[in-house]
Amino acid sequence: MKVERYVYDEIGRPYPRKNRYLAELAELDAELETADPKRAKELKAKRSELEKNKSSHPHIVKLKEARKAEREFLAELKRESAAYKKSLSRASVQVVKWRLEYFQAEKKAAFYEPLVDLDYDFELAYKAAETQIHRLPLMLETRAALEAKEGRLKAELEAAKGQDHSSAEAKIKAYKEERQAQADAEIKQIKQLQKQGQISARAYRNEREQKIRAAKEDIRAREMTHPLKTLKSQLENVRHHLRVDPESERRVLNSDLSDLRRRIPVETFQQRAYKSWLALLVPGLGQVLNKQYVKSIFFFLLTFIIYFINLPYAMGKHNYRGEGLAGLINLAAGRSRVDRSIIFMIEGILAVCLLIIAIFLFYFSFRDAHRVEKNKIKGTRPYNWFETKNSISRNGFPYMVSLPALILIIFIVMVPIFSTVLISFTNYDPSHQSKFVWSGITNYREIFLGQGVAGGPFWKILGWTVIWTLGASSLAIFIGFFLSLIAHQERIKGKRIFRTIYLLPWAVPAFITIMMFSVMFSPGGPLAEILESLLGYPFNVKNDTYATRVVLILLQGWLGSAYVFMLSTGVLQGIPGDLYEAAHIDGATAFQQAFKITIPLVLYRTAPLLIGQYTFNFNNFSIIHLFNGGGPFNPSRYGNIAGSTDILISYIYKLTIVKQYQAIGAAITIVISIFLLIITWYGYRNSKAFKEN
Amino acid sequence: MKITLNNIGKKYEGRENFTIRHINLEIEDKDFCVILGPSGCGKSTLLRMIAGLNSITEGELYFGDRLINKVEPKDRDIAMVFQSYALYPHMTVYDNMAFSLAMRKERKEVIHERVMEAAEILQITDYLYSRPSDISGGQRQRVALGRAMVRKPAVFLMDEPLSNLDAKLREHMRVELVRLHKSLQTTSIYVTHDQTEAMTMATRIVLLDGGKIQQVGKPEDFYNRPANLFVAGFIGSPTMNTFSGKMENGVFVSDNGVIRVSPAPEDAASLAPYEGKAVHLGIRSERFIAGEGEDGKVKAKIDVIEMLGKEKLLYCSLDDGSTCVISQPGYYEYAHDELHNFHLDKEGLHFFDSESTERIN
Amino acid sequence: MQKKAQDKKSRKERKKEKLYLSDRPPLTPLAAVMLAISYLILIFWAFVILWPLLQMTLASLNGSLGNYISLGGTYTLSLKHFKYLFTETHFLLWTKNTLVIAIATALLTLLVVSFTGYAYSRYRFSGRRASLMAIMLIQTIPAFAGITAYYTIHSIISAIIPSFSRQMWLILIYAAGGIAGNTFMLKGYIDGISTELDDAARIDGCSNMQVYRLIVMPIARPMLAIIALWSFIGPFLDFMLPKILLTDPKQYTLATGLFTLISDMRNMNQPAFAAGGLLTAVPIIILFITLQKQLVSGLAQGSVKG
Repeated sequence: MKVERYVYDEIGRPYPRKNRYLAELAELDAELETADPKRAKELKAKRSELEKNKSSHPHIVKLKEARKAEREFLAELKRESAAYKKSLSRASVQVVKWRLEYFQAEKKAAFYEPLVDLDYDFELAYKAAETQIHRLPLMLETRAALEAKEGRLKAELEAAKGQDHSSAEAKIKAYKEERQAQADAEIKQIKQLQKQGQISARAYRNEREQKIRAAKEDIRAREMTHPLKTLKSQLENVRHHLRVDPESERRVLNSDLSDLRRRIPVETFQQRAYKSWLALLVPGLGQVLNKQYVKSIFFFLLTFIIYFINLPYAMGKHNYRGEGLAGLINLAAGRSRVDRSIIFMIEGILAVCLLIIAIFLFYFSFRDAHRVEKNKIKGTRPYNWFETKNSISRNGFPYMVSLPALILIIFIVMVPIFSTVLISFTNYDPSHQSKFVWSGITNYREIFLGQGVAGGPFWKILGWTVIWTLGASSLAIFIGFFLSLIAHQERIKGKRIFRTIYLLPWAVPAFITIMMFSVMFSPGGPLAEILESLLGYPFNVKNDTYATRVVLILLQGWLGSAYVFMLSTGVLQGIPGDLYEAAHIDGATAFQQAFKITIPLVLYRTAPLLIGQYTFNFNNFSIIHLFNGGGPFNPSRYGNIAGSTDILISYIYKLTIVKQYQAIGAAITIVISIFLLIITWYGYRNSKAFKEN
Repeated sequence: MKITLNNIGKKYEGRENFTIRHINLEIEDKDFCVILGPSGCGKSTLLRMIAGLNSITEGELYFGDRLINKVEPKDRDIAMVFQSYALYPHMTVYDNMAFSLAMRKERKEVIHERVMEAAEILQITDYLYSRPSDISGGQRQRVALGRAMVRKPAVFLMDEPLSNLDAKLREHMRVELVRLHKSLQTTSIYVTHDQTEAMTMATRIVLLDGGKIQQVGKPEDFYNRPANLFVAGFIGSPTMNTFSGKMENGVFVSDNGVIRVSPAPEDAASLAPYEGKAVHLGIRSERFIAGEGEDGKVKAKIDVIEMLGKEKLLYCSLDDGSTCVISQPGYYEYAHDELHNFHLDKEGLHFFDSESTERIN
Repeated sequence: MQKKAQDKKSRKERKKEKLYLSDRPPLTPLAAVMLAISYLILIFWAFVILWPLLQMTLASLNGSLGNYISLGGTYTLSLKHFKYLFTETHFLLWTKNTLVIAIATALLTLLVVSFTGYAYSRYRFSGRRASLMAIMLIQTIPAFAGITAYYTIHSIISAIIPSFSRQMWLILIYAAGGIAGNTFMLKGYIDGISTELDDAARIDGCSNMQVYRLIVMPIARPMLAIIALWSFIGPFLDFMLPKILLTDPKQYTLATGLFTLISDMRNMNQPAFAAGGLLTAVPIIILFITLQKQLVSGLAQGSVKG
């Protein structure tokens, strides 16, 4: 493996090697690149010679000695520190810690100084000690000053408690009354202004609020001049600083130290990143090998989860009834009566999810360890815990806060969708409720060819669904839009009343109005009676396919127009008047204005929402189901399952929930979903809002 | 507080190149330092690094003698005024100004006192309890300043704070800001792309372009001794006239030979090494003298006249088709399409090396 | 004020030939006819909207109706259907169920979405674009796509946690289903809040969480309110999921509960349904009318930005 001549830090700045042995290797390697074959052979021999005699290389020998001395020094330092610590035991924990650090830093600086040129590690240790020596006394000083202040204030407060503050209190009270009176007078004055009609009620309210607030603020500030309160708040302030300042100074020191780590590279004899591969299957191990111990705890936790939850579950342990991944394939075939295929399937999907999560975690851990290892070979020091923590809180924040959302979406949205996908490839139907098997694309074939009990009416239903979607949505859009244009005319009075009434179909929960209409169209119901008196003979709308369809479309027109009306009225009110004035000057008539300005503008602004109307109606289960249950039935045309006004979604409902043809239902669901996905994807791919992000 | 930038550089994640690099700068205590540059030159990045809002990729930043690279913004003892003022819309003016002190658990009476003091200086006491949305742009600007003042920071940072105001108000606020700086005596760093702001307010200007410092110095240095062609073109309105040409026998000859001028004696020495080499000549519009002189004669045809009152700007074309701007006292009579003779003031000539664009004399 | 006065004048002025003050051109005969037609159309549609609602109100108060609603017959004002609703049906229980589900859904949605919206708006993290796209697409798959699995998953979870009821499951489904769209809505809104505010807050001494809690959240409150409101109204309007998931009439929501009053021959009582519908509709109508602007702008924002 080639040894680079330089080591590089994070942003790619080169540093010369300190390790002479590695430097010599690098020189040879560099020469090898351009050497002719003969010279290359020579160089290679020289290189292996050098590698063989590594342990006797002068630099290595010196380094070894230094390391040994370092170990001894550290052991000695530990003993000395323990002794020193005892002498400090009366101070607070933080002070003891800092004093000790300072004590050690001084010794370290003395020890490491002569070794600085030998290795970057020693340079780092020396410079870190220097930084500590520079910073710690200042930190201790600030702390001591704050503590002293706290003590003084405490004593003052104690003393003040015994004294008589009645004069101060009286003064404050007097001020309070005076200020209050002043504010009252001011408010009275503005009130007067309002009564005279010089300012509006709103302005009066604002002014009044501001006056009150100002008075309150002044009084509060004055109250703080009470000796006891002053002292107390001072004390509070000092305590706050005592709590916060040392922390922040500590952070600064740690940042300086981490800055040193970023600027002092590292040299390692290791030339190939193999440790992360070794530790591939045990997240955390790689981090331990990289000496990132705190971080490794987190990864070991993941190992624990993977090996005690994810993998066993995938293998079939701790399942509710299923057999993990295996259940996904055998679908409970041959198991006892209580073992239902659907449970096996869903547990299988859960197992897959858990497995994917496990694989992702393996990869995540490996990538982390591998990157650190490779960087170290390059010359960049691994992060210490302080740096890791910072980087997590900076870069990890979005991931952490999105985690609950992700889990919810995976297990509540994705798992059911995947189940549906899989069910569509089985023969889950009334005669295979407990046990079903994989059946390939049979269901899809049945749908497309329009065969079988369940797939038969598919195309007819699709046809009606399309007519329904286009008819109902377009009608609603037309009515809503038309009415908003009429109501928007300048000369119309009572706009507010009309607008409020037109809002009602949107505001009344749709299921209530639909049910109400359903009741009114039933035989004997008010609308049925009116219809009868108009036609002259009893006519049951709900028994006639075409009448029901027409009524459904009209009803949705009634329901949906309110929303469109709201939207386009909103846009109309936002169109600037000068646009019309300009058109007027250009000689446009009212009709031209409407067709050339108003309509295009409103359509353009509301287009995405109007398209939403179509998808909404495509999936509008409530109205079909609640109005007439998809009826009337017409078995000769639509079979035994669907009624003649069923749209795809209510058909799926009947298939899956009522008649238990789950597999066909799933297949239709998938077809619809793919269709909708394509449309949406196409729409969003071109939308500006998405591109910007 | 003195601020030292030592070889500062910034590379954004996912970008190939450094946005700015090798920035060495010392900002003295009580300076009003304006960082000037065209948009995209990295001036805002530099300011944000000083504020701690962007991390520093390389180099060291010192406040006084304290290394501040990794210190969080709130611990840097700074205050910043933003282009959009960044007033918290859900708080009253008073709360906006008190916010930073409240975050540090400062004592209530101190907060009140400081807010009132700042409000009085900035004359915003009347709407302390209004919301930012209820006051005018100029007032918001003052509130933003007040919010910064309340902290009594060691360093004042301003990121194009006047660019959202209309021209008249901007002129007024410029003076106000200078007055404020004089009374507060706080080290201030002010970022702008507007050279007028820089020239009128700064005690010291740093001109940035392409991520590099082009020139550092006093405003008059920028006008009188631009360090390179970029600075010459950026500072001053109308823009400095430049002519490319070369030195022949110690005389500058423009490319088509329309202008021939020998430099002032004190410049001759520094121009000697450029004998026969390509050189740019720069001259400001007011350094053209009317009438025929002995040296550096220019015959100009007047295309457009701009009457500015005390002076007239003449947009002229020379014999070879090159154009220049000449300013003359407003009471001189000129008309379109007239031909006039001018000559160059030798004291006002700037010479630049065409290759490196650096100043020569 | 002044304008009104002018308008008033301009009307009078047509009769007495005084100064013509209105900005509008004078009313031509053709325009007058058009105006009349416009009024006719508007009044007609108002009638079309009001009549069925009026029928419902009348029926609910008509004491002479039996189990069916019909025109004609005598009209006796009585509260007997309301009484029936409260004593003979689980109406109160349904209301409580719906409220519990609605409130829990709103809270859960807010809790989850307020963070994701902030994260997606303010942080550039890897996987952001891809996940946005994925969210977008998932959102278009209809909610019923998973109905078969919902049953089974519920039985698996309730085997582990016995107290996990169907209503809780419904709440989770509602909340999870709303994450995508609501995240978009909130992200769009927070995008509109200048990041300089965040910077200012950081300099003033806020941490990441404080920036969010003290600055961004209060400013985004209108949008959060809209999201909470829509999540709250959702369960009131939805019929399908409770119909599929809830089997015990005591667990029903208002939608499924009221449906039993007109769908089932055994306890058919149409006037009682009208009464229940009225009681459900009135608070929601009030909510909609008072908050119509916010609700519409919320919808518009969600779709345009999304």
